[in-house]
Amino acid sequence: MRHFLVMTLFAALASVVFGAMAKDTTQERLLYGLKVFAEFMVIGLVLGWILYFIP
Amino acid sequence: MVKTERLQAEEAEPAPGSAWLTGAAAWFVPGLGHLMQKRWWRAALMGGAVWLCFFVGMGMGGHLFDLAAEGSSPLLQVPPMIANLGTGALYLVSWLLDYGFKDDPAQAARATYEYGNTFLLIAGLLNYLTMLDAFDIAAGRKP
Repeated sequence: MRHFLVMTLFAALASVVFGAMAKDTTQERLLYGLKVFAEFMVIGLVLGWILYFIP
Repeated sequence: MVKTERLQAEEAEPAPGSAWLTGAAAWFVPGLGHLMQKRWWRAALMGGAVWLCFFVGMGMGGHLFDLAAEGSSPLLQVPPMIANLGTGALYLVSWLLDYGFKDDPAQAARATYEYGNTFLLIAGLLNYLTMLDAFDIAAGRKP
């Protein structure tokens, strides 16, 4: 659980910076930040499950 | 870079001295570059993320890199050191106080040690992005 929370915190911090500096309008920035956050989380979970099955 | 972007870049005016000063300030103190331009929200979000990332990394027992390598080539220390250096004053103060640089086996045995290292590296890299953003705004290349 702790590893998941650390990954979530990492994704949140990185996506805040990515979102704040990208795009032109506040709405676009917010959507982009959320998209980056979701991508970090999904890719992290997929990689975690892949590595789980590799001895 | 496509041709139109390249032409636009070539036609761009050189950045004023104040933009370089803002960039340097943004590197030295995360968030200061945006504060100097009264971009309060950007300063809070971007600078705050860098500060939080750094202190969380330290709290997890992360390790900062310098050229003093133990058992490995100093060249291998350069890339992570450049990443760590991105945090500006945070790195320099830690270096002056010799805090976070020692390779302590008890610290390395902590479950969060590698996470801490990653957070410290990412804090520096995020601050490089923050610095570039502040520079672009100061140079008038970004609204």
